[in-house]
Amino acid sequence: MAAYLSMGEAHRRITDYLGRFSDAVSSQDVASLKHILSLSSNSASLLSLADALNLLQDANRLIKQSDRFSQFAEIVAPLFRCIQNYRLGNLVDAYPAYEKAANAFIQEFRNWDSAWALEALYVIAYEIRVLAERADRELSANGKSPEKLKAAGSFLMKVFGVLAGKGPKRVGALYVTCQLFKVYFKLGTVHLCRSVIRSIETARIFDFEEFPQRDKVTYMYYTGRLEVYNENFTAADQKLSYALAHCNPHSEANIRMILKYLIPVKLSIGILPTDWLLEKYNLVEYRNIVQALKRGDLRLLRSALEAHEDRFLRSGVYLVLEKLELQVYQRLLKKIYIIQKQKDPSKAHQMKLEVIIKALRWLGIDMDLDEVECIVAILIHKNLVKGYFAHKSKVVVLSKQDPFPKLMGKPVNA
Amino acid sequence: MMNQGGITETLAPPGTNSLEDRHVVDARHGQPSSYSSSTAGSEASSWTPHSVNNSFTGNGYSASSTYGFEQQAQPPRRDDMNSATEASSLSLGSTSVPQDYNGYMTYQNPTNSYGYGTTGYTGYYSGYQQQTNQSYSQPAGAYQSTNSPYQPLSSFQNTGSYAVPPSYSNSYYGPGDYQTAGTYPNSTYGTQTTWNDGNYTNYSSYQYSNYPSTSSAYSSGNSATAPAQYQPQYKQWTGYYAQSEVSCAPGMENLSVASSSNPECPTPGVPDGTQASNSQPPPTAVPSWRPEPGLSGLPSQQPSVVASTGHDNYWKQHAAPGFQNYNSAAPGFQNHNSAAPGFQNHNSAAPGFQNHNSAAPGFQNHNNAAGQSAFYQPMESKNAYGSYSDEQKSTSDQGPNLQYPVVHQVPQVHQAPQQISSTLDPRRGIKLQIQTNPRIVSNLALGLTKTDKAGSGTTAAAKPAYIGVSLPKPNDKALSSDASDPALKPATFPKSLRGYVERALARCKGDAQIAASQAVLKELITSATADGTLYTQDWDAKPLFPLPDMDGLSNTFQSPLPLPTLRRSPGRRTKSRWEPLPEEKLVNKTLPLTTEPVKYGGYMNDRNRKPFVGNLESKDGLNTPNFLAMEQKTTSFQKPFKRQRLSDSLTTADNGDASSDSDKESSLTAFYSGAIGFSNTPEERKKRESRSKRFEKAHGNRVEISHFKPKSAGSANLYARRATAIVLSKTFEESGSKAVEDIDWDALTVRGTCQEIEKRYLRLTSAPDPATVRPEEVLEKALTMVQNSQKNYLYKCDQLKSIRQDLTVQRIRNKLTVKVYETHARLALEVGDLPEYNQCQSQLKTLYAEGIEGCHMEFAAYNLLCVILHSNNYRDLLSSMSRLSNDAKNDKAVKHALAVRRAVTSGNYVMFFGLYRTAPNLNSCLMDLFADKMRYKAVNCMCRSYRPTVPVSYVAKVLGFAYASSVNGGSDEKDSVGLEESVDWLKAHGACLVADNNGEMQVDTKASSSSLYIPEPGDAVAHGDSSLAVNDFLTRAPS
Repeated sequence: MAAYLSMGEAHRRITDYLGRFSDAVSSQDVASLKHILSLSSNSASLLSLADALNLLQDANRLIKQSDRFSQFAEIVAPLFRCIQNYRLGNLVDAYPAYEKAANAFIQEFRNWDSAWALEALYVIAYEIRVLAERADRELSANGKSPEKLKAAGSFLMKVFGVLAGKGPKRVGALYVTCQLFKVYFKLGTVHLCRSVIRSIETARIFDFEEFPQRDKVTYMYYTGRLEVYNENFTAADQKLSYALAHCNPHSEANIRMILKYLIPVKLSIGILPTDWLLEKYNLVEYRNIVQALKRGDLRLLRSALEAHEDRFLRSGVYLVLEKLELQVYQRLLKKIYIIQKQKDPSKAHQMKLEVIIKALRWLGIDMDLDEVECIVAILIHKNLVKGYFAHKSKVVVLSKQDPFPKLMGKPVNA
Repeated sequence: MMNQGGITETLAPPGTNSLEDRHVVDARHGQPSSYSSSTAGSEASSWTPHSVNNSFTGNGYSASSTYGFEQQAQPPRRDDMNSATEASSLSLGSTSVPQDYNGYMTYQNPTNSYGYGTTGYTGYYSGYQQQTNQSYSQPAGAYQSTNSPYQPLSSFQNTGSYAVPPSYSNSYYGPGDYQTAGTYPNSTYGTQTTWNDGNYTNYSSYQYSNYPSTSSAYSSGNSATAPAQYQPQYKQWTGYYAQSEVSCAPGMENLSVASSSNPECPTPGVPDGTQASNSQPPPTAVPSWRPEPGLSGLPSQQPSVVASTGHDNYWKQHAAPGFQNYNSAAPGFQNHNSAAPGFQNHNSAAPGFQNHNSAAPGFQNHNNAAGQSAFYQPMESKNAYGSYSDEQKSTSDQGPNLQYPVVHQVPQVHQAPQQISSTLDPRRGIKLQIQTNPRIVSNLALGLTKTDKAGSGTTAAAKPAYIGVSLPKPNDKALSSDASDPALKPATFPKSLRGYVERALARCKGDAQIAASQAVLKELITSATADGTLYTQDWDAKPLFPLPDMDGLSNTFQSPLPLPTLRRSPGRRTKSRWEPLPEEKLVNKTLPLTTEPVKYGGYMNDRNRKPFVGNLESKDGLNTPNFLAMEQKTTSFQKPFKRQRLSDSLTTADNGDASSDSDKESSLTAFYSGAIGFSNTPEERKKRESRSKRFEKAHGNRVEISHFKPKSAGSANLYARRATAIVLSKTFEESGSKAVEDIDWDALTVRGTCQEIEKRYLRLTSAPDPATVRPEEVLEKALTMVQNSQKNYLYKCDQLKSIRQDLTVQRIRNKLTVKVYETHARLALEVGDLPEYNQCQSQLKTLYAEGIEGCHMEFAAYNLLCVILHSNNYRDLLSSMSRLSNDAKNDKAVKHALAVRRAVTSGNYVMFFGLYRTAPNLNSCLMDLFADKMRYKAVNCMCRSYRPTVPVSYVAKVLGFAYASSVNGGSDEKDSVGLEESVDWLKAHGACLVADNNGEMQVDTKASSSSLYIPEPGDAVAHGDSSLAVNDFLTRAPS
């Protein structure tokens, strides 16, 4: 089709696009502006424009022809270059052009008193991240070092700076923050999140609840993940639960992502999910872990961890799950205690180390006396077992009152 | 420096250059207190003499004599220096009279600017004001008013400060001085008195100011000292006044005494000073102030800067009203007058000064000389600062005397230069014009002062000092403004007006507002004076004018006006100080000449106006020094460290100037850069400096020239220059990078020819010489040699490093390279040399990534252990775990490392020490580093879980003590060794040990659970890295 494109038609398409752009700005029509800027939508109008641009090389002349267009030359000219390269599949060149256009746009945006173009800015923030990710993929495929996403990160930081002040534009700050989170998590530079979080959370002038719902959910999701990294399970639970409670119930993929982190966090504070939940959101990798916790089956826990080690390592919950081992030990001891109680209630609170070793051996886990003694010591130390250990007689003396305290939503204390 | 600055100003374009240079030099000089020794030999020498004089000054006469000497010696130099600006800067101390004058003038201006800029300035101002008031009876009211505002602003100023001054002075001068006050004049002051009374007073004030500044600088922020200085100054002023009022002889003596006494005994001195002060003291005080700033840590820098702008201002001020005032001043003035001629003489002939100095009779002469010296003083004072402070502390009398002379000299010098240089100085003309526009002028002056401050302040704030150099024209303006100010004589203001001014200023919230308010006030007073309502109007009832809109001004002022802000609120001041000033904005602002200077000038002017209207000029001059001192003080208080750094850099720069042109350039650029970013933090300035230096290297000459030319153009030129510099540097970088890409590395790679197997490591400072580089075969032998060597680690490390170096320069990356790095990494692990290990590890990482074979798994395990043991970051651990391949996970060493990780994260100490026993390779070496932590955690856990006791033998077994000992040999013996070791360890960590019935040691868990602690590492080293402690390292290294 492009081959048959006449010069006149190309000219018309470009002028039409310019006209739409300038109309959108002058009439503050966000919807069409969004459409114009949305590169990844692959809309027909953008594609045909790209063809026209490839045919008509001096689009800049058209921009400069009219005052109406030339005032946006700094935005539109690089945008045209970007569209051209995008159409040709040259993302590495498309990215810098888009960044340039975006830069010019935020300059304009800064000058607009109202926040009417916020939606368009969202589109830009999104496009620049996606474009950078794709460009990086292209770069690393060519054996070059991917650097565009990093550049997008610093550009988004700039956008954040434009929005983070007072006034109506502040509402948009959280969206950009979330885009930044995505960039940083992808780059593995999550420590850079700290400054953004600080400026969001310390701002007294703006109540967090005033941000758009979707941004709040995304923000809570990422900050919750950060708390998981920090082993701060209480905060992680709170943030991820917020995200889950406010997430659109129809976007199951998002709910699954939240649950992926929320379940290990809940497990570590002693709250187990139902099978139904795991199945509904296809989180079956946790099923055996939950079973192990219920049964005190150390072997099952270890095999479950081993089976999904890669997945857990990548999502970053491996160490959280590994720590569940102590709870499994607790459960095991509790079972022994219950059995002993059935046999001889008067001696139930005295648990011989030998019995524990036997139980472990029955699970196929061979541990020597010192090791089990150590585990018991740790259990008592962490307050998962109430009582004391008598070294001389190798007996765990359990408290007669609530020897196996439940976590009750609190993390195992260090 | 000051002299130089002044000269340069008079000289015009070349002068400016020289001024800048000088300024720089001065600053450096001042800061180091090495003035004498620092920088150019000639300068240094001259300075040193001055300092000596100052120290001697305790004996006013001796000081004067020394001054004379210095001056004499310097004069020739100065002349030379005049010709060559650098020389002039150096000569300032010694400079010939005319130069001195110039220098003084400039110095004063700079000092003013400095003072204004810095809080110290405000303090000075207050001091000045008071002094001026006293001395200048006419303006007194205004001055007082100004004083009062200033005082409130700065804690120093708290007039209380005056009263306080005694205490201060006591500290400085020693209370004895105060007591002697009566006698003072006779003894220490006597010398001064012998000098021109007025001059003496001035001197005293100057000295005081100097002292304070010095004291502040030295004491580093002793607020008390600062006030003391102020007080002294005030006293001096008062003394001056008294002198002026009284006829020279007795009055002078009294005054001088008073002044001296003031510093020392605040109360007595103060009253005296106030009484006497009416006359002339302010002018003198001003000079002293200037020197002070110079004196303070930064003093040298300041003087230089001051010289450029400050001098101008001073000159103008002094020349116009100040001079007149001085001349008119009765006794003091007489002295002054005589001094004036003397100045002329001085100007014309340095020898005259020398004569003065040499001759006691020529007190006046001395004064003149002093004035000269004073010009230099800033520099001298700087030099002498150390001595001054010391002297002051030890012998307060001498110190003050010296200072005083300096101060006196300064004013005189200023005057003389002004008069003499009238034709010479374009500024004068400007001044006249400026007079018409007092506000503008004041702004300009302020700007100048600011710049000066910056220059001088470099020591303290350092930012503006540089600017000052490039802003000669603004100075002129400022001077003119000052001149115009004189028309308004604050001394004559009614009290009600003073109160009005105070009220007006008290509500100002920022420097900018103050400055603007001052401008408005000035206008009000001028108009009131013009229509004769000044005394008839009911100022108390008059409503305050609306606060001026500061938008633009505030920006400009913020950085430059630290002093005022300081007085009012230290926090704010610091804030403003560091706030980046929008350079462009400044330019846009009304300040026509140099934006920076203008800003500063605004402050200066404002302050001047407020306090000093009429006398302002002379006072300003005086004030400026005070301000400088204040600034220094304040700066020292706030950030002594930064100051030091700045001063250091400045000193170095000075040295550079003296030594070579390129150095000069760099220093100049440094100044420029400083000027450009007044508000910048020192770090940033340094960065800029280095950046601009880079640029200079290539285009140094051009840059230099451009820098100098811009005087009138001011900041604009600076900006332009900066821009060009950036462009140039960019192009350089580009060309450089291109060149790098084009280089044929293979052609350049060294092929070693050295056959020596043993080679010491020496970090290369030039291209490698093939004759000293070993080829691969020899390196292989060298590696074998090292591996089989019985010598200690240090030797091996040295040899391996040289092998690594030879490999690197020959770009050999193969199995041998891997082997060398692996060998080194293992050796480093064995002795716990982690820094070296990390170097090798990172190299190995890239080598393995290139596909070169080696013990990949072994080092993957080490790497994992390092992450486990040294990073408490979950993410690092996760990412390094997820990077492991399946092959790696099946490797014995890596498996072990992963097991260690599990043991560590779960706190399973039994598992940890079990793994320790079975560690492959050198894994145990890395585990060693974590063993203590693990043991502590374990004992903590045991104490919590075990009851009632746990045997030490069990602890020793479980926590690896027995294992560690068993490595060494026998069975039972080793066990007992392990037991002993564990007992020692447990005791060291606060465990409670008891023996049971069988005599076996037990840990009382309940008692221990609350008494455990981690002892301070016994081998802690001051620098924080015990592995760097050579002795310890050697003992640990297996020989």
